[in-house]
Amino acid sequence: MAGHEELIAEHEARRARALEMGGAKKMEARKAQGRLNARERIDWIFDEGSFAETGMLATSHIPEMRDRSPADGKVCGYGKIEGRPAAIVSCDLTTLGASSSLTNVRKMGHLRRTAIRNGMPMIFLNETSGARIPDTMGAQGTGALGQDPEQFVRGREIPYAAACLGPSYGTGTWFTMLSDFVVMRKGACLAVSSPRVTSLAIGETVELEALGGWKLHTETTGLVDYAVDTDEEGLDLIKRFLSYLPSHSGELPPVAELPNESEINEDSILDIVPAERQKVYDVRKLIAAIVDPGSVFELKPRFARVATTALTRMGGKVVGVVATNPMFKGGALDPDGCDKITSFLVLCDSFHIPIVILTDTPGFLIGVEGERRKAPGKIMNFMTALQMCSVPKLSIVTRKSYGQAYLNMGGSRNSDEMAAWPTADVGFMDPNIGVNVVYGVTAESDPQKFEELKAEISRETSAYDLAAIYSAQAVLDPRETRRWLLSMLSVHSRGRERGFSRRALAYWPTTF
Amino acid sequence: MAEEKILSEITGTVWKIEMGVGSSVEEDDVIMILESMKMEIPVLAPGSGTIASILVEEGTSIVEGQEVATMTT
Repeated sequence: MAGHEELIAEHEARRARALEMGGAKKMEARKAQGRLNARERIDWIFDEGSFAETGMLATSHIPEMRDRSPADGKVCGYGKIEGRPAAIVSCDLTTLGASSSLTNVRKMGHLRRTAIRNGMPMIFLNETSGARIPDTMGAQGTGALGQDPEQFVRGREIPYAAACLGPSYGTGTWFTMLSDFVVMRKGACLAVSSPRVTSLAIGETVELEALGGWKLHTETTGLVDYAVDTDEEGLDLIKRFLSYLPSHSGELPPVAELPNESEINEDSILDIVPAERQKVYDVRKLIAAIVDPGSVFELKPRFARVATTALTRMGGKVVGVVATNPMFKGGALDPDGCDKITSFLVLCDSFHIPIVILTDTPGFLIGVEGERRKAPGKIMNFMTALQMCSVPKLSIVTRKSYGQAYLNMGGSRNSDEMAAWPTADVGFMDPNIGVNVVYGVTAESDPQKFEELKAEISRETSAYDLAAIYSAQAVLDPRETRRWLLSMLSVHSRGRERGFSRRALAYWPTTF
Repeated sequence: MAEEKILSEITGTVWKIEMGVGSSVEEDDVIMILESMKMEIPVLAPGSGTIASILVEEGTSIVEGQEVATMTT
């Protein structure tokens, strides 16, 4: 013991200083604002007592800044979520604005490499002012960056999830953009640079919400999945997202308990989906009626609502559902809808999640605006991604499915098995529009001729016509949908590959 | 109280107006129904609030992005 006391006391003092972060006054101010601090956020997300910190005593590399930089502003480490491992970076805004520095970028790099090598998800809790100016000043400062040539490569060996819980610029933004799932606290800002820096650069005032607010990102850019009111709500969403994914690409998604089948009311499907084609409905209600009760976890619910993408469970196993939603734009797929589905296909295929496709769409939304926004390229990205997916793909035409959209939504051999409801209508385009396109006759110009031609063009567009040539393998009473899907998921279980995808989409970019 | 514009997300014709000025709405309540692509497509409230104005009539042709109503939130 002799001689140790003083050294141990110093060690404890250093640890205590690290735990203080930006000091009691700043902690109190955050508490008053209803914000958790960096360490409280970790405590919230990880199982009690499971957090193992790395780099607690790391500081700025600049000697005179060491006292002011506990953990160098980014608290890093490993822990468990419901018994499953994960790695975390939690920004401490009270310490030098959690700015990215030489030391903490080194910490993050080590953490990321360790997570990938050992197969655990990465969680980024961002609240950061961006790059630390003393560290990146001048050619030597900037030249010292970029020491990890794979820092920004996503091979989806592990899931990434991010929360933007305050300002998020620079590195915080980059890793958010590389993530599979993103939540954002209302009032936070996610952008390349802060409103102040941006305003100075372009010479006009830029407001936070317009530059990188939650509405912009959940509704217009789709870069954020969910906006939340509190830190806790955001952290719980990350936990829920990860509950559907394997810890790494070398394992299959976790299986939940079998649901109580008596809670499933398949008759409700007939009330949800009107047989009349002109009536719309919310496909999210249909999804909820088909999958295990309470298992629907929609991604990007406020973005590109023409398409619904949701992680769900069927018979306890994780299934990704892609559907067009007639409630929005009639379910006509626009460029954003294509992007949303493509990114979901990439996620599912990279982590061995079978895909179920529900189709009720009048086709792609055509028009000048769509062409300006690269609709043809987006449609082909979507199609390419679908054809590259090697997870099981099952599709059901519930009502309309026309033209190229029929193929994009898994038509014919673009899914492993396809079924149609008796309400299905499949053809090159909606007969009401097709009459005008093919014959130049409208309901207004010649009602009788229009009806005759419509009857002609509508012939042989039924589910039974599709089944007769074996492009649909089954015609289902809508109430049989769940049973058919469960049965076909079992048939197409990829037994020879033990359920694993070839992961050909794993390096697809996260934004495109 | 902020005023929010309600825009049509699609080109079509106003078929039926379901809410009047002063109506209280919740997010995703149907304000009016458009006829487009031979379907009845709703215009939904973007959030909770009160309808401040209705800027179109039944039968009006509208284009994507057109302001069709306003609400206070």
